[in-house]
Amino acid sequence: MQKIIYLLLISIFVVGCKSDNKKEDSNELTVYTHRHYESDQELFKRFEEESGIKLNIVNASADELIQKMSLEGEQSPADVLITVDAGRLYRAKSQNLLQSFSSSLIDSIVPKHLKDEDGQWVGLTKRARVIAYSKERIDSTQLSTYENLTSQEWEDKILVRSSSNIYNQSLLALIIANKGQQSAEDWASGVVENMARAPKGNDRDQVKAVANNEGDLAIVNTYYIGKLLNSEDKNEVEAGKSVDIFFPNQETTGTHINVSGIGVAKYSPNKENAVQFIEFLLQEKAQSIFAGSNFEYPVNPNVEPADILKSWGDFKEDNLSLNKLGEYNKEAVIIFDKVGWK
Amino acid sequence: MNLKHRFFKLKRDLNRWSLLLLLILAVVSVPILTIGLKLFDGPGESWNHILEYVLFDYLKNSFLLALFCSIIVILFGVTTAWLVSRFEFPFRKQLEWLLILPLSVPAYIMAYAYAGVFGYSGLFSKLMGAFGIGDFRIEVMNIYGLSLVLSISLFPYVYVSSRTFFLAQATNLLEASRMLGISEFKSFFKLIFPLARPAIIAGLVLVLMEVLNDYGAASYYGVSTFTTGIFRSWFSLGEPETAIYLSAILLLIVFGLILFEKWQRRHLNFTSAKMSKQNYNSRLKPKKANQLWFTVICFIPVFLGFVLPVIQLIIWVEQTFSKVWTVEFISITLESFGIAFLTASVTVLVALLLLFFTRWNKIELLKTSSKLGVLGYAIPGIIIAIGVLIPSLYIDKWLIEKNITSKLILNATLIALVYAYVVRFLAVAYQPLESSSLKIDRSLSDSSKVLGKGNFKTFFKIEFPLIRAGLLSAFILVFIDILKELPLTLIMKPYDVNTLAVKSFEYASDEMVSSAALPSLLIILTALIPAIFLNKLLLKNASNS
Repeated sequence: MQKIIYLLLISIFVVGCKSDNKKEDSNELTVYTHRHYESDQELFKRFEEESGIKLNIVNASADELIQKMSLEGEQSPADVLITVDAGRLYRAKSQNLLQSFSSSLIDSIVPKHLKDEDGQWVGLTKRARVIAYSKERIDSTQLSTYENLTSQEWEDKILVRSSSNIYNQSLLALIIANKGQQSAEDWASGVVENMARAPKGNDRDQVKAVANNEGDLAIVNTYYIGKLLNSEDKNEVEAGKSVDIFFPNQETTGTHINVSGIGVAKYSPNKENAVQFIEFLLQEKAQSIFAGSNFEYPVNPNVEPADILKSWGDFKEDNLSLNKLGEYNKEAVIIFDKVGWK
Repeated sequence: MNLKHRFFKLKRDLNRWSLLLLLILAVVSVPILTIGLKLFDGPGESWNHILEYVLFDYLKNSFLLALFCSIIVILFGVTTAWLVSRFEFPFRKQLEWLLILPLSVPAYIMAYAYAGVFGYSGLFSKLMGAFGIGDFRIEVMNIYGLSLVLSISLFPYVYVSSRTFFLAQATNLLEASRMLGISEFKSFFKLIFPLARPAIIAGLVLVLMEVLNDYGAASYYGVSTFTTGIFRSWFSLGEPETAIYLSAILLLIVFGLILFEKWQRRHLNFTSAKMSKQNYNSRLKPKKANQLWFTVICFIPVFLGFVLPVIQLIIWVEQTFSKVWTVEFISITLESFGIAFLTASVTVLVALLLLFFTRWNKIELLKTSSKLGVLGYAIPGIIIAIGVLIPSLYIDKWLIEKNITSKLILNATLIALVYAYVVRFLAVAYQPLESSSLKIDRSLSDSSKVLGKGNFKTFFKIEFPLIRAGLLSAFILVFIDILKELPLTLIMKPYDVNTLAVKSFEYASDEMVSSAALPSLLIILTALIPAIFLNKLLLKNASNS
C-alpha cells in the first residue's frame, strides 16, 4: 500500500511539473492541425525561434478540430486550422469558423486556383492522385484517363482503398463537378466492377498488392510512392520500385490535385501572428522543408519539388476551384455507398 | 400503488447514500446523458440514405464481430484462467501474468502487426518459404482476421475477471463435488462455469464494449462496422449530429444488454460466506504429459497476443530506431506513466464509491440507473469527448461571462482530461469490482452492521479486504487502457502534454507503421510495470489471507 502511495505522489509530481509552466503569454499562436509529420514539428520550432512567438499545437483529425472549434465558439483559442485536404477547409468555412485575411506576400506566392476565392484559406502543399502501374505487366500507353479505368480491360486489375478515405472522395467530387452526377455514379460503379479485391488497407498497401501481383493498377497519392522508395523497410522499397507513376487526364481536364491548406480561425485571438505564420510557411525556405521531406509538391512556384517528384516530370493539373471538392464531398460519399464501394 | 404510497416509500428509503450516489452519478453521467439526449435532436439529413444503403451492413458486421469475439475470448480467457488457478504445471507462475500482457498492445497496432506478419514477404510467408510453400498466404485483413486480432488483444479482460473469481472461489464446493466422484472436467462445466458466470460476463461486457467501439483496426481491415459507420457519417458525410445519433443508439443497445444480463440473474445467488482460502499448496498436480499440455494451452494466447506482435514490432524498431529515437521519449514515457497512474487511481476510487453508494442506497430506481455511469466505455472516445466538451465548455463560458475568469480554464487542462478518462474508463474499473463484490455474502456485512458498525467501518474491516484482488485487477486494466488511449487524449490534452499513444499515432496515421513500432513497444514496456508488480501483490494477498 505504501509503495502505491509513493508512486501516486511521484506521478502527481511528474504530471504537475508538466502542466505548471502554463504562463500567461500574449505572444503566442494556437495551431489546430491535422498534419502530424516530423518535418512540421521542425518547422514549428524554427518559427518559434525566428519570431519569438510561442506555438501551442493541437493535433487531431480535421473534423474533430472543426467540431471543437464550433463548440468553443467565440472562446476558441484556435488561431489557425491546418488540414490535409481542401474539402475540410471548405467545411470549416461553410460552418462560419474561418475569416478572411490578406497579405500581399501570400497573394504573390500562391496561384489563384490553390486558394479560397474569399481569402479564408490558402494551400500550403499539393498532392496529386495518380495511377501507379506495374512496370512489369503494363505499358504506359495503355493508360489515359480516370474515366478509362472503367473499361473492360481492367477487370480484376484495380486496387484502391476504402471510400472512407478523403482522397477518394475528393477524386469523385472532382468527377461530379466536371461531368455531372450520373457520369460520376457510372464511373464509381465501373471502378467497383474492376476492383481486384474489396478495398482495405492504406495507399501503401495498394502499391504492395500491385508489387505482389494482386492487381496491375493502384490509385494512390504521389507522396506515398516517395515514402515507399525512401522507407527503411526493404520490402517497401522494392514495392515502390515495381511501379511507375502515370498522371491521368493529361490530354483532357488534367490530373486531380488536392492541397494541404491553412485557414485563419474566425475568433483568432492573435490574427497578426497567424498571418505571419502563414507567410513563414509559404516562403521558400519553409516550403522546401514542408513539402520536400514529405514528398509533396510545394505551392510556391519558386521552390523545386523533391528529386523523386522531379523525375516523374511536370504534369497538367486540373484547375477546378478546390472549394468544389468540399461542395460535392457529401454527394460523392452517397454515390460510393450506392455503388457499394466499401 | 398510488402516488402517495410511492412517495412514502421513496421517503422511507432515502438515505444519505442515495444523495451521495446521486451526486457522483450526476458527475460521471453528464457526458453520457448529453450524448443520450441527442437522440431527441434526431439525425442529420443523410439518415434516410444510411438506412437505405449501409445500416444493415453495419449492424450485420458488428453483430458477427461481437459473436466471433465472444466465442474466442471465452475459449481463451476462461480456459487459461481455470488452468492457472486450479493446476500446477511448468511455467505456471510466469504464464499467470504473461496472460495479461496482450492487453498492452493497442488493438490498431495489433492489427498492423498481424497485417505485417501475414503480409507479402512477412514473417509467415518466410516461414512457409522455409517449407517450400512460400506462395501460401493467409489473408487476415477481413472480418475473421479482425475478430481474431481483437479477441487476442482483449481476452485478458475475461481472463482477469474469471481468474479473480477462481482464486477466491471457495474450494470446498469443488472438493465436495470431487468427493462425490464427479470428474474434474465435469465439475468444471456443471459447477464452476455456471458459478463463474457473473465474472465471465463482467469481462465479456468489457470486451464487447471495446469491440463495438473499435475504429482503427476495423477501418484498416476494411470491415464496415457500426463504429466505422459513426465515423463515416461524421468525417465523410460531414454530419456530426448523425454520428452522435448513431452513438446514442449504440448506447441504448449496450444499456439494454447490461440490464438484461442483470435481470437474468436476478434470482441467483453467487455469494460465498467463506473467505478465500486459496489452496496454494493444494493446486492439483496432473500427470506429467498433461502438465505439458497445460503449459502449451496457456502459451498459445500469449504467443498470439504478445510474442508474435512484439517480434514484429522489434523487427520494425530495428529498422527505424536510429531515425525515430530521441531523448524526448524518456520524458514522454514518464508523462504517460504519470497520467495513467494518476487517472487509474482516480477512476478506481470513483468506481468504488459508485459501487458501494449503490449498495448502501435503498432506492431501487437509483440502483438500476447507477449502470448509466459505466456506459462510457461502449462509445467511441471521440464521441465521449464531445459529451465532455459540451458541459465543460458551458461551465467555462459561464465563468467568463460572470467575469470570474478571463479564458477557458477547464478545457485543455489536466482536469478536463482526467475527467474525460474517468467517464470513459469507469466500466473497466467497475466490472471487476462488482464481480468480486458479488461474491461477498451479505450476511458478513449484515452481521457487522448488527454489531453496531457503520457502513464505512464495515467497508474497511470486511469488504475492502475481500475485494482487494478485484481492486488490483481494476487498477491494472484501467492503467493499461489509459496508456493506450488515443482519441480523447488528442482532443482533450493540454498543449504541452504528450503521451506514447499520441506519438505512435503520429507515425501510424501517416502510414509509417514501422516508425510507430518504437512508441508502441514503449507502451507495452510501461504496461508491464503494474502488470507484474500488482500481480505479485495479488498473489501475496491471496496467500496471506
